Amino acid sequence: MHSFQLYLMEILEGSPNHRVSRYVEWIITAVVLLNCSAVILDSVPEVHAQYKHFFHEFEFWSVMFFTAEYVLRVWSLGAKFAGGEGGSWKGRYQYIFSIFGLVDFFATMPHYLHIFFPALDLRILRVLRLLRILKLSKYNTALQDLFHAIHSERRAFGSAAFLLMIATIVSASLMHFAEGHEQPQYFGSIPHSIYWSIVTITSGYGNVEPVTKAGEVIALLTGFLGVCMAAIMTGIVASAFSNQIARKKAAYQTQLRLVLADGMVSSAERETLKNLQRRYRLSDAQVQVFIDEAEKKKI
Amino acid sequence: MSSNEIQIASGRLYKLKRRTFEILDGTIHDSASKACEIFIAVLVIANVLAIILESLQDLHDAYAQYFHWFDMASVAVFSAEYVLRVWSCGAKYPERPSSAWQGRREYLFSAFGIVDFASTAPFYLQLLFPGADLRVLRMFRLMRIFKLSRYNSAMDDLIEAIKSEKESFSSALFLLFISCLLFSSLMYLIENHDQPDVFPSIPAAMHWFILTIISGWGNVDPVSFLGVVMVVFTQILAIALAAILTGVVATAYSAQVQRREAVYEMEVREVLADGVLSAEEKAKLKALQARFGMTDEQVAAIADQVEAERKEAARA
Repeated sequence: MHSFQLYLMEILEGSPNHRVSRYVEWIITAVVLLNCSAVILDSVPEVHAQYKHFFHEFEFWSVMFFTAEYVLRVWSLGAKFAGGEGGSWKGRYQYIFSIFGLVDFFATMPHYLHIFFPALDLRILRVLRLLRILKLSKYNTALQDLFHAIHSERRAFGSAAFLLMIATIVSASLMHFAEGHEQPQYFGSIPHSIYWSIVTITSGYGNVEPVTKAGEVIALLTGFLGVCMAAIMTGIVASAFSNQIARKKAAYQTQLRLVLADGMVSSAERETLKNLQRRYRLSDAQVQVFIDEAEKKKI
Repeated sequence: MSSNEIQIASGRLYKLKRRTFEILDGTIHDSASKACEIFIAVLVIANVLAIILESLQDLHDAYAQYFHWFDMASVAVFSAEYVLRVWSCGAKYPERPSSAWQGRREYLFSAFGIVDFASTAPFYLQLLFPGADLRVLRMFRLMRIFKLSRYNSAMDDLIEAIKSEKESFSSALFLLFISCLLFSSLMYLIENHDQPDVFPSIPAAMHWFILTIISGWGNVDPVSFLGVVMVVFTQILAIALAAILTGVVATAYSAQVQRREAVYEMEVREVLADGVLSAEEKAKLKALQARFGMTDEQVAAIADQVEAERKEAARA
């Protein structure tokens, strides 16, 4: 029983060695994509009138499918930690309260609510159905790379957000002081001017033209600040990605060095390197350069 | 009082001064200095919120008295903070107790010192000269928001990154300045005849130029063929400038992260040199990691790398 649980967990959690795991991934992806297409098509009145029953049936079987997936995931994750490491419920709790677990839950379970309380607002239900598209992000490693990159530069993003907040409040207040009397319908209070200031920062050109000289100068400076903010944000993302790639290369090189240290490469070591290369998505040419480098260093 | 007693008293006073400095400056990050930091930060945020809310006419009419009292209380706290900071900065250099004014001067003329002064002092001006323009006063009050940046360590990262690439930034700004002069003069020459009301002077053309740079469209359509060519060139320049600025920021950040990783790697190497990792060394590495804002993964990768190098060296 336990070995089957472990096997199921490996399949559902996606280990790169399992062929079956990849098939399961494809099937779930296909069902999610079909679901999203159904939600979009169902919103067209003519299509809805003609295929109402089909959509209803499809929704029912999808919910059955996702429920089975959820239940199997929760059950199989009991095998993640052995009894000494926290028991079978530790892995389950981790999954249930992870972002993916919550998405899986809220993308499926509201349907049952609808069965028990038929009077519920259908629109909320439909929005929650759209959550299913987030299930795909589990299989999108590039998206996970993005999150990692952003996480490693979170302080830089924090400073950019702080700067943005200060720029918004200061420019809105200055505009209120400068133009509050001339255009009270737009700059009559600071909260009113904040809208103008955000429009100016994001688009460079506000929804209201300043009429005073001071207002014109403030508007130009605010727009220029907006350009700087965009540059800072883009720059941070670019540097985050570039640093992440550099780190991955360094990690691969470290592993390569360890493997080559004893002068021979066993098949297990070869497998580790292959997995690492796939996980870091390094090209074969890239890897060859690393190997040549390591060989040269040894001589 | 004998001279001995005076000496003891002044020694105590010096200790108090030094302690005040530590709490306000946050050089030693203990619970007292953290509490002080949080208190001032919360008060600053409340002040900014009050300024924003006060600008709503209804709220202003209903609670004018409360806003006034709150402002008075805030000014009292900020004044006390300023005075205490100036006084305690005399103990900034404990190794040279006689040079009290060096630390004070440094604070008074630092960016934070100027912000602290300018955001509080105008209140007293108003007490002396009640006829002053309220809008100017309110503008100075708004400067209190900049007091927050003292407690935002991430801002230091940004400033440090920009400082290390200041040549690139100044060259980008120089390019902007030169092209502003050139393009707006040309635009003035080309379009002044046809649209004298839109381009009456070079400063007006400059306004058009900067608007085009920041938003892509300068608010005015050219009428002559050469004017259209100018607009197109300016728009291309706007894209180029944005790209240059972005590239410089990206390089600056990337260089900063690499610099920090190198510093951390050196520290790890130093710590591992004797082969044992003491609790003290571990705490040191943790503190460095927190200061640089590095993730656990980054740190683990560096540790692995150093470890692999050491193994190789041992084998050789």
